[in-house]
Amino acid sequence: MKKLYMRIERCAGCKRCELACVEEHKKIDGLNPKTRIFVESINDRPVPVVCRHCRDALCVSACMAGCMQKDENTGIVTNQGHEQKCVGCWMCIMACPFGVISLSDDEATINSYAFAQAVKCDFCPDQDTPACVSACPNEVIEVKDIKEEALCGM
Amino acid sequence: MRYVIIGNSAAGVNAGEEIRRKDKESEIIIISNEKDIAYSRCLISRFLDGRLPETQLYFKTKKFYRDFNIKPILGKRVTAIDTSGQSVNLYNGERFSYDKLLLAIGSTPARPKICGLDLEGAFNFYSLEDARKINNYIKNVKKAVIAGAGFAGLEAAYALRKLGVGVTVVERCPQILPNQFDYISSELIREDLEGLGVEVILNESLTSINGCGTIESVTIGEDTDISCSMVIFATGVKPNAQLASEAGLNKDRGILVDEFLKTSNPNIYAAGDCIEIEDMNTGKRQVSATWFNAVLQGKFSGLNMLGIAKRYSGLVGIQNAVQFHRLGAISFGMTQVTDDDLNYEVISYYQKDGKIYKKLVVKNDYLCGMIFVGDILKAGFYAALIRNKINISDFKSKLLDPDFSHAYFKNENFDQVSSYAPVPSCWQDPQHWLTERSMCMGIR
Repeated sequence: MKKLYMRIERCAGCKRCELACVEEHKKIDGLNPKTRIFVESINDRPVPVVCRHCRDALCVSACMAGCMQKDENTGIVTNQGHEQKCVGCWMCIMACPFGVISLSDDEATINSYAFAQAVKCDFCPDQDTPACVSACPNEVIEVKDIKEEALCGM
Repeated sequence: MRYVIIGNSAAGVNAGEEIRRKDKESEIIIISNEKDIAYSRCLISRFLDGRLPETQLYFKTKKFYRDFNIKPILGKRVTAIDTSGQSVNLYNGERFSYDKLLLAIGSTPARPKICGLDLEGAFNFYSLEDARKINNYIKNVKKAVIAGAGFAGLEAAYALRKLGVGVTVVERCPQILPNQFDYISSELIREDLEGLGVEVILNESLTSINGCGTIESVTIGEDTDISCSMVIFATGVKPNAQLASEAGLNKDRGILVDEFLKTSNPNIYAAGDCIEIEDMNTGKRQVSATWFNAVLQGKFSGLNMLGIAKRYSGLVGIQNAVQFHRLGAISFGMTQVTDDDLNYEVISYYQKDGKIYKKLVVKNDYLCGMIFVGDILKAGFYAALIRNKINISDFKSKLLDPDFSHAYFKNENFDQVSSYAPVPSCWQDPQHWLTERSMCMGIR
């Protein structure tokens, strides 16, 4: 299953990944698009942080609408494109230990169920390579195809 | 093997799913007295005001039961558990034998004992059936009174306002959401709701419901009458423990379970709203009726029923996320500190105009509670610091800095809390993130 890995020592903090992510998702988010990748910092050094698409994702367990789901085949965790709709209850934001779930509150595009919807990395379904990976000038972000079982030892 | 699960909501369904993932052969039966397939109780207010159609309430589809080969027996009440014969008896005389049994039987709304409860127009707000009943009744209702300003009460208030009904919420505590939030945050949420036209009366409770056949008014406190034609009770829930106690299982307020979610009978487990288990913050046994806890307990009980021993000791009784109107809010862990305990430190940030409030409760270098209102991003990271008991002594001055994030804890093994072992992968990843070269960066 595909995961994004970071060679964080290469990151210059240019935030092009964030821009590319915003650009890529404006068709979902509408006029107020949000980034799903975050360049945080440790003692003034940049560290990009993004969803890990966890094997037993806490956001999936927390979702009371059944909307946040992990795809059994691709391993991608997303609240988009499912029968159940995001109602903006923020349980996933409360559950995610990495703090990488954000919210989109553009009134024009949100559904009638909620004031806002949770947004998170969806691995850019329309692209071969996620937008952040293509945009990074320093090749910080890398797509690796790995077996989750090997990571978890379970 | 035959696994029987009583209860078809968060805990029961997730237990069944977890069992099936590991065991493809055994028979799994879910029995419920509700006739609907698994729906989300938290969404019934959205069904009530028409924001969600009924089909959107189902957090698992019909296909789920087929795919996971789980046999649902719905609309049938279990009347007794025969522990010596290892079987459950249904109201209609049917019997199902079990090898392992899970009680995920939830809770029942608790109504105050006052006059007039039998009048037409008094409702609970707990199940989909309740919401349907309210829906059928509401056409001629101009004004409703809601007893209890907890989550259910305020959700109901919001829904009724959307339907154009006048709403007064009556709460006996001096603030709304008294169990989950502190005074400042509750006031922010109250302002948000009042902007919608919901009237909130604090420090009072209903003393009687008056009318003849149908409700005409309610009396609040000594002698204040409010005329209304509907009353909704959202005055909390109590665990369903009777079935268990009749079967001879230990119970106090809820069914007592050990850290493997096993009851006093070795073949019977329990999970969800119906159990009472130690809270990791207070160390006291606690009942917690929250969705997330029920799901995790369901998963843990499923694994334990399979014989994969997984210790569950990670109950955080209070964990709530909510947005009634415009303001998002999250509370987690111990959110209110009593004045007589000097071991607690409170770090807070309050911006009244921006309606942003953040509060962290720290005890002995460990975070033990938080409230975020207005700006809720990264709340889950703080929750993980609480849940995983991470020492934050090096970061105390940074805790509410905008750049404080989980990046600081890249080398922290978030998996140390064994109780969360079934959901570990994400916490094991950090080690894999760190390549040899990144170690040179000197990140601690």
